[in-house]
Amino acid sequence: MDIDRSDDYMQPPAQASKPIIAVVDDAHPFDLEGYISNYTGRTAIDRLLHVMHICPGIAAEAYQLCLQHIHQSRDPSLYSLLFQTYEAASGTPGVTLPPMSELSQLDTKWVDETVAKNQADRTKLEVELKTYTNNMIKESIRMAHRDLGDHYRATGDFGTSLKHYTKSREFCTTSQHVLDMCMSILELLIEQRNYSHLTTYVFKADAALDAASAAAANSNAPVQGGTAPTVTATANQKKKSADREVVQAKLDLASALAQFGASNYEKAAHAFLKIGSAKELGDWTTKLVSPGDIAIYGTLCALATFSRATIKSKILENSVFGVYVEQEPYVRELLEAYMNSNFKVVLELLNRYSTRHYIDVHLSPHVNELTTLIRNSAVVLYFKPFATIKLDRMSAAFGWTVAETEGHIVNLIQSGAIQGRVDSENKILHAKKTDYRGELFARAIKTGSDIQATNRKLLLRMKLQQADLIVKAPKGQQGGGSLTDASHSMFMVGE
Amino acid sequence: MAQFADNLINQITATRSISAVHSVFKTFIKEGHENVFTAMLSNGQDPVVYLSQDVANHTLGLLFLLSSRIHAHNTAPLPPWQVVSQFCAQFSPEQARLVPERVTKLAKGIQRYAQQSGNPALAVTPLQHLIQRYPPDLSYLTTIHSIFLMTCVTTRNFTPALPILAVPITNIDLSLSPDLTYQDNLIYHYTGGIALAALKKWSEAEEYFEICVTSPGNHPAALQFEALKKLRLVQIISKGEVGQLPKYTSSHLIRLFRNSVYAQFLKHYPQNQTALRELVAKEKAVFASEKNLGLINQAIARAPRWVLKKLTATYVTLHLSDIAKRVGIESEDEVRGMLLSMIESGELTAHISSSNTVTFTDPPPSFTKAEVDDVLRKAQDQARLMSLLDAEVGRSKEFLNKVSKGHDNWGPSGPGGIGMGMDEDVYQPASMGWADETMFS
Repeated sequence: MDIDRSDDYMQPPAQASKPIIAVVDDAHPFDLEGYISNYTGRTAIDRLLHVMHICPGIAAEAYQLCLQHIHQSRDPSLYSLLFQTYEAASGTPGVTLPPMSELSQLDTKWVDETVAKNQADRTKLEVELKTYTNNMIKESIRMAHRDLGDHYRATGDFGTSLKHYTKSREFCTTSQHVLDMCMSILELLIEQRNYSHLTTYVFKADAALDAASAAAANSNAPVQGGTAPTVTATANQKKKSADREVVQAKLDLASALAQFGASNYEKAAHAFLKIGSAKELGDWTTKLVSPGDIAIYGTLCALATFSRATIKSKILENSVFGVYVEQEPYVRELLEAYMNSNFKVVLELLNRYSTRHYIDVHLSPHVNELTTLIRNSAVVLYFKPFATIKLDRMSAAFGWTVAETEGHIVNLIQSGAIQGRVDSENKILHAKKTDYRGELFARAIKTGSDIQATNRKLLLRMKLQQADLIVKAPKGQQGGGSLTDASHSMFMVGE
Repeated sequence: MAQFADNLINQITATRSISAVHSVFKTFIKEGHENVFTAMLSNGQDPVVYLSQDVANHTLGLLFLLSSRIHAHNTAPLPPWQVVSQFCAQFSPEQARLVPERVTKLAKGIQRYAQQSGNPALAVTPLQHLIQRYPPDLSYLTTIHSIFLMTCVTTRNFTPALPILAVPITNIDLSLSPDLTYQDNLIYHYTGGIALAALKKWSEAEEYFEICVTSPGNHPAALQFEALKKLRLVQIISKGEVGQLPKYTSSHLIRLFRNSVYAQFLKHYPQNQTALRELVAKEKAVFASEKNLGLINQAIARAPRWVLKKLTATYVTLHLSDIAKRVGIESEDEVRGMLLSMIESGELTAHISSSNTVTFTDPPPSFTKAEVDDVLRKAQDQARLMSLLDAEVGRSKEFLNKVSKGHDNWGPSGPGGIGMGMDEDVYQPASMGWADETMFS
C-alpha cells in the first residue's frame, strides 16, 4: 500500500506551467454564489480557494464565502491557507483588492474552540482505539480506525486520515466493510485530486462489491425451498441491486475522474456518460462534484474525442446524461451548435464560459487541451465535404482571421488530421488527390525491393551464425550455442 | 640452403601434379625447413622471379614462396613488387584454394609491403585482383575483403572498392578462409559503409552500416556502436529521418545510442537548426574525435532541404519569402538556389513563377514496362533462391535433428517415432508451404 501524498495538492496543477488568469466581465459571465451553492463542505472551500488563485478579480467575494464555509468546518488550519491565497491574489498585477483588514475579522474564539474540541475528540478516539486493540475486538478496532480516519479528514490531516482508513482494512470481516473503506478512501482521493490512485481503489471496491453481492446471494440460497421464500429472496435481491447501483454510480464517477485526471479524454467521456442518475450518486453530488460538473466534463471530453455519430448516440439519445445536461443550459447549446456544424457558436460558447471552466478544480488543467481538441475536430469536420475551399470562407465560419485559419490548418495537415494542401498565395485549401493506382505500384515495388534487401541481410546473418562468426565478449566466454542460434535464424527468414 | 632451394624448384617444375607439389611443401613445413622458401637459388637467381614466368601453372609454389618471403623481415630481400602484382593478376584460383591460409598471409603481406615501400595505396590493385579471382564469386566473404577495404579507406582510394562492394556478401565458406573471424565481417561492412558514404552512395552505405550494426552477437562490439552512429547520420543525410532498425538489433546498442550526443542531435533534426548548431559547437570535440564531423556538417547543410520537403506536403503554393522564413535561410536567392538544385536532382517537382511564387506539384509516379518486368524477374529469382534454400535447410542435419527432437512428444511414441520423422517426408510439404507464404507476405 503506497501512500504517496503530495503536499502541494492545494496548488492547482496548471499553476505549475503557466498561471491562468481568468476574468469575469460581461463577455465571461460567472455567478460565484450560484456556483458555490452547489457544493458543501471541504470541496466548497477548495473550490473557493481555487477561484481566488485563478480569478483574482472576484477574490474578495470568494474570501467572504470561504470564511463562512470554514466556520462550518473543523479545520482551523484553513485560515492560514486562506490568508496566503488572498495575499497571493492581491499580489497579482492589475488587480486591486481591498486589504484583508477591511474584510470580516477573524474569529479567534472559533479557532481556539475548534482546536480544543478537535484535540479532545482525537484523544478520545485514540484512547478508544487503544482499548479495542488491547481487547482484540476486531470489529471495534475497525470502527475506531474508521472514526479516526473521518476525524483526521475533517480536521484536514489527509495523510493520517488515509493511513487510518487503509489500516482499517486489516480488520474488515465482510466485503461490505471493505467496500465502505474503499468508498471513504475514494472520497478522500477525489477531494485531494489524487487521480493516479483512484483506479486502484475502484478495482478494489469493484471486487468487494462482487463479493458482497455474491455473499448476499449465497445467504439467500438455502432459504429457497418453497415459493414464498423465493419472493422474499427476489425482493432482497432487488434491494441489493439498488444498493449496488448506488455504489456502481459512485465507482463510475471515480474511474471517470481518474481517466480525466490522466488526460485520457476518450475513456473519460465514456465513463462520464455511463454514470447513473444524480440520485444514485447520493451526497457525492454536493460533497465532491455537482451534476452540472458531470455534464460539462462529459460533454467537453465527448466533443473533443468522439465522432459525430457517437455523440448523437451516446449523448443526445442518453436520457440519464440528458438530466445532467439540463443542469447547465449552455452545455445543451454547445452540443446543438456542434451537431448543427455551427462551429463559430461552439467556439464562442467555449470562450464565453472559459472562466467557468478555469475555476473548476478538476477541469482547470485540461481546459486548454480540450479546447484545442474540440477546435481541431471542428475544423476537420468542416472541411470534410469540400474538395477545395477558400480560406476566407472558412475563417468566416469559425470567426477567425485568415492568417489564424491558415495556421490552424497547417498544423492539422502536419499532424495528419486533414488530408489536404494549402495554396498559400490564393488562400485556398485543396483536398489531397491521390492516384491510387500509381501509389499502389510505387508501394508494391518498394516493398519488393525492401523484402529482397531484408532477405539478403537475413541470409547473411544466418550464414554468419552457421559459421559461428558471432560477436563475442572480449573475454571470449562463448558457449557452444551456435547451432540453436543458426536454427533460430532459419525461422527468422520465414518471418 | 641454396641446394635445398634448387631441389625444391626442380621438384616443382618437374612434376605436373598439383597434389604432388602440395605434398612437397607440406613435407618441408613438417620437417621445419620453412626457411628454404625464402632462400635464393645456388646460381643467385631469385626463385620467385624464375617461377613467375608461368604463374598459372606454378600458383601453388609461388604462393608458398611469396607468402613466406613477404613476411621474412630481414633474412631475405622482399620479392620484386612486379612479381607480386603479376601473381595477383594471373594466379590460378583452383590451386590457391588448396592453401587458403597462405592466401590470407599473402594479402596481409601485400598490405605491409606497400606500407614499407612508403606508398600504401600501391596495395590496392593487387588486393583487388586477389579478391576478384580467389573466391568462386564475389558474394563470398574472405579474409582478403577486410584487408582490401581497410587499405582502400585508409588511403582514401574509394573507387577501386566499388566493384567489390557492388556485390553484397551472402555466402560464407570457411574452407575458403578458415581463419575468418567476426572481426573480418564487421570491419569489411564498416569500412565498406565508409567508402560508400564518402562517395555519397547513401543507400548502399546505409545497408553496409546496417549489416555491421545488426551482426549477430551476444555482446555489441565497439565497432558496431560506431557503425550505428554513422548509420544514423547517413540516414538523415539521405532521407531526412531515421529508419527503423531490424528487430534483431542488439537492444544494448540501442540503449547506448540513446544516451549519446548523436541521439540529441537527431532529436532536433531537421527543424531546430539553431539548436543543432549549438549542439555541434558544444560537442565539436566529440564529433571530431569520432571522425563524424564531416557527416554532421553535411547533415546540417541538408537540414533546410528536409524542412522544405515537409512544406511541400502541406502547401500547394508558397511565396519564396515564406519559404525562406520557414526554412530558416535569410536570403531569397539562396532559397531559390536550393529549390532549383532540389528540382534538378529530382527530390521535388515545383515551378517558380515570375512573382517568386513557388507552386509544388506531385510528381506523377511513372513506371515503364521494363521496370515492372525487372521487378517481377527479381522477385521470381528471389522466390527461386528461397525455395532452394528452404530445401537445403530442410535436408540439413541440424534442422532434421532439431525437428525430430522438437516433435518427440508430438510424433508416434516409442522408439520408431524419431526414425519415422526422419525418413518420411512428413515435414516437407508443410515447410514448402511456409516458404511460399513468406514469398508473398
